[in-house]
Amino acid sequence: MEGKKETISNYVCEILKNYSVERRNLLPVLREVQEKLGYLPVRAMEKVAEALGIPTVDVYGAATFFNLFRLSPPGKHQIKVCMGTACFMAGGQIALDSFERRLDVRTGETTPDGEFSLEEVACVGCCSLAPVVVVDDFVEGNVTPTRVDGILLSWDIGKKKQREQD
Amino acid sequence: MDVSLTERAYIKMKAASINNLKYLEDKPVIRVGTGTCGKAAGALRIREAFKDELTRKGIDAGVVEVGCMGHCYAEPLIIISKPGFPSLCYGKVDEVLVKRLVEDFLINNDPCYEFAMAALEPNDIFPTFRDFPRGVYEEKMILENCGFIDPEEIDFYIARDGYSALADVLNMEPGEVLGEVKASNLRGRGGAGFPAGIKWEVVRKAGNGMKYVICNGDEGDPGAFMDRNILESNPHQVIEGMIICAYAVGASLGYLYIRSEYSQAIRRVNNALRQAREKNLLGASILGSAFCFDLEVFSGAGAFVCGEGTALINSMEGGMGIPQHRPPELAVSGYLGEPTVLNNVKTFCYVPLIMRKGADWFKKTGTPGSPGTAVFTLAGKIAGPGLVEVPMGTTLRQLIFDVGEGIPRNKKFKAVQIGGPSGGCLPEQALDIPLDFDSLEEAGAMMGSGGLVVLDEDDCMVGMARFFLNFTQQESCGKCTFCRLGTKHMLEILKAITRGEGDMASLETLRELAEDVKTGSLCNLGKTAPNPVLTTLKYFRDEYEAHIKGKCCPSLKCPDLIAYFIEPDKCSKLCNICVGSCPVEAIYTRDNGLKAINRDKCVKCDNCLKACPPEYSAVIKVSPPGLVEEREREMK
Amino acid sequence: MNRKVVIIIDGQKITAREGEKLLWVALENKVYIPHLCAVKEQERPTAGCRLCFVEIEGTCNPVTACTQPVKAGMTVKTRTPAVDRLVRTAFELLLSEHRLNCGECPKNGSCELQKIARERGLKLNLHRLKPLSKKVIIDDSPRSFAFDAGRCVLCGRCVWADHRIAGVGAIGFSRRGIHRRITTFADRELAQSPCTECGLCVEACPVGALYFKKN
Repeated sequence: MEGKKETISNYVCEILKNYSVERRNLLPVLREVQEKLGYLPVRAMEKVAEALGIPTVDVYGAATFFNLFRLSPPGKHQIKVCMGTACFMAGGQIALDSFERRLDVRTGETTPDGEFSLEEVACVGCCSLAPVVVVDDFVEGNVTPTRVDGILLSWDIGKKKQREQD
Repeated sequence: MDVSLTERAYIKMKAASINNLKYLEDKPVIRVGTGTCGKAAGALRIREAFKDELTRKGIDAGVVEVGCMGHCYAEPLIIISKPGFPSLCYGKVDEVLVKRLVEDFLINNDPCYEFAMAALEPNDIFPTFRDFPRGVYEEKMILENCGFIDPEEIDFYIARDGYSALADVLNMEPGEVLGEVKASNLRGRGGAGFPAGIKWEVVRKAGNGMKYVICNGDEGDPGAFMDRNILESNPHQVIEGMIICAYAVGASLGYLYIRSEYSQAIRRVNNALRQAREKNLLGASILGSAFCFDLEVFSGAGAFVCGEGTALINSMEGGMGIPQHRPPELAVSGYLGEPTVLNNVKTFCYVPLIMRKGADWFKKTGTPGSPGTAVFTLAGKIAGPGLVEVPMGTTLRQLIFDVGEGIPRNKKFKAVQIGGPSGGCLPEQALDIPLDFDSLEEAGAMMGSGGLVVLDEDDCMVGMARFFLNFTQQESCGKCTFCRLGTKHMLEILKAITRGEGDMASLETLRELAEDVKTGSLCNLGKTAPNPVLTTLKYFRDEYEAHIKGKCCPSLKCPDLIAYFIEPDKCSKLCNICVGSCPVEAIYTRDNGLKAINRDKCVKCDNCLKACPPEYSAVIKVSPPGLVEEREREMK
Repeated sequence: MNRKVVIIIDGQKITAREGEKLLWVALENKVYIPHLCAVKEQERPTAGCRLCFVEIEGTCNPVTACTQPVKAGMTVKTRTPAVDRLVRTAFELLLSEHRLNCGECPKNGSCELQKIARERGLKLNLHRLKPLSKKVIIDDSPRSFAFDAGRCVLCGRCVWADHRIAGVGAIGFSRRGIHRRITTFADRELAQSPCTECGLCVEACPVGALYFKKN
């Protein structure tokens, strides 16, 4: 545990080297920390606050305000269901419900095995393919409940193959 | 002299760019649209397929990645320019078509007209986009180059006269530049339509200290993506506009604020900035003049409210995206307290065109009050979704039925939602109002982001109001009482209504709250959040009343007010498709072989309705759900 | 110093320095305008509570007095139908997420919400709205005071006191929208935060959210 804390501090220090000590660098720094670590650990936020000379609670405020930041580690695969206007009209909620049902998690949660995290996003800009789901960086269009099963099944199969190979 | 210096520098640069692009002359060029939408539809696969096929057949042809032309319905989209033929555009391209085009067109000179969508230049053989219904109305100003030039190579932009306006401007007095922009009456395209020239003038007059130019690319409307598209397809046009603005107001540093979700746009803009710096279009003594200016990308962290200027500035300064009271306006006290010009992506795009062709040219298009064009994303129940640019003053009817080719599947038009969460829902009778800033505001909607969503008879207006309010409620920063709590209570009332638990008194409360949130909120997010509710209440009150009094959703959309039913006289005993389609095993077979739905298990996913073969069409939706029991009783 | 000008508030002639914010001018002259979030020293007013609406002759909608600079010849009305309507709604909205149990509240009798109700003839209960359920979370980890989030109206005066007067930085706003709240870093107990128990935030609280313990 102590070792992990050390690693986090080191990563953050490395990132902070590229920035001047000014409050206006807060969001770019947090963004880079999250890109590196996948989320914003408490230790990282403390380190950033210390380096930029601002209260820790202000860093926490910004980290909890913006959609981009997450305070817990994400799943290995991120499923983002588009909730833009066109997707909503074409059944985005139905797709989201299906994922919740299949993965047995609520939106914003990660499956207990850490495989999938399920999120809502506002418009990914592929309205003509509505409803759209983004799995990791791959855009899936016209997602019906049957397609939801298909997407998850393809991951399961992929995993099984992986296991057989190992 | 300075005059000849920047011009000479530009002429040299343009010649070099044209020279750099020589390799594309005298041979076929394939342009593949790789905007985010194109990529989602598989454009990268198509690009690779072309490259493979060309190598396999040993053909010398250029494959260029371009941005998006706006024909979303036809992605992936490519353009083939072969000497001796007009440039031809092909939509919905797959690997099979790639093989055929290489074989038949590139090798054997048969352009496969049966697969072509349109030609780009007028010719005797094949119609152009101009001959399309939408071509008659479309007038491309700022989207002109989108989808034709490679956004990752500055040479393409320069070869098409890009940055020539900047070269000219640097020989003018800043006041003259400002005068031209003011004379054009260019109004900000971010939504409110404030005249850009007046904003710039305030900043210009604010003394000689530090000033900033910021481009607002924090497009957050869940259904609009034109800013992303422009940044991805033609970043240099925005950059040129910003440099000209900086010169006019006397700023030395600027930022492009782009939302973090637009990773491709951020990457392409950063690449464009690097190339512009290499060509001395940014940085110290631009094009050899005395003017210095540089630009950086600031990527937003995901908050719709940051589209509001003061919130955007707060987030850039390292705080939460919380709006502040105005005045002072940003032009007086903006980023780090200094005078700041903040304009939308599209606004900056018009600037090089206005400087190159003149304010009078710009004013020839559009209406006297709102000159120029408007860019819309068409989405929802529309046959030709995509990105369009039409003159201001075009009517909604022309936009939906001519440009967008109407409602698919012979459904009836119900309403059009314009301007996203800040805009309103307008009914049939409002279709003839001209699209410009003032007319729309009069009708209770607003230009807003330019998102335009068409709704047909199957869409529930209460559900739409609830959707948009849910969005603004989630995106409210929470600072002011009306927006934080008012939108929450409005949403709760709407939720109750869509569940069939509303009453007429709460409808009155909803209206009162909507009006008070509109007047009382601190910033424009709160002030405009009630628009979807107010306009649907005004034009579609009967639907609200049906939900409340009849516990019925007339459009059969609200999940709590509908039930699925399999009509016994239509159901085929021999078919089992619906049973297999149900994700929760809610469909069972009755003793007599007919299928039925267990309502307690049904999750209302629509699967069975879609799965039931059209020759039976036995699955129907009813509202209120109690109708199912009635039908069941009739059966016995 | 700015020049002195004469303005009229509710028919009363008042002399004030030009540019000064209307809210403070009115309060100093014993004209009550409801307010929760305003802090006089703040150069840019929060303008978040939306209670200090007044009407100024010549402008169509009511404006917030905390942000309105005084100008010569200004005619102000603190009570008009439009003002009263906005104040009534804003007040009811605030009450809808305020745990109403005045009898047990340490601020009973000195609470700003009660004062507003008294001055404006508003009831301390909900007419049109349903209460928004808020979990009762009371942080009584500090030795001398406690924080009851269920009574917090998010005016931010405690944050101002903590950051700008005490210079500590123990508490601040976190999250957004309906989830916005006053917390410490990582939602820790106050005793685990840099809090020095100077008590300035407690003194700044207009309601019973932050209160000194009895002994």
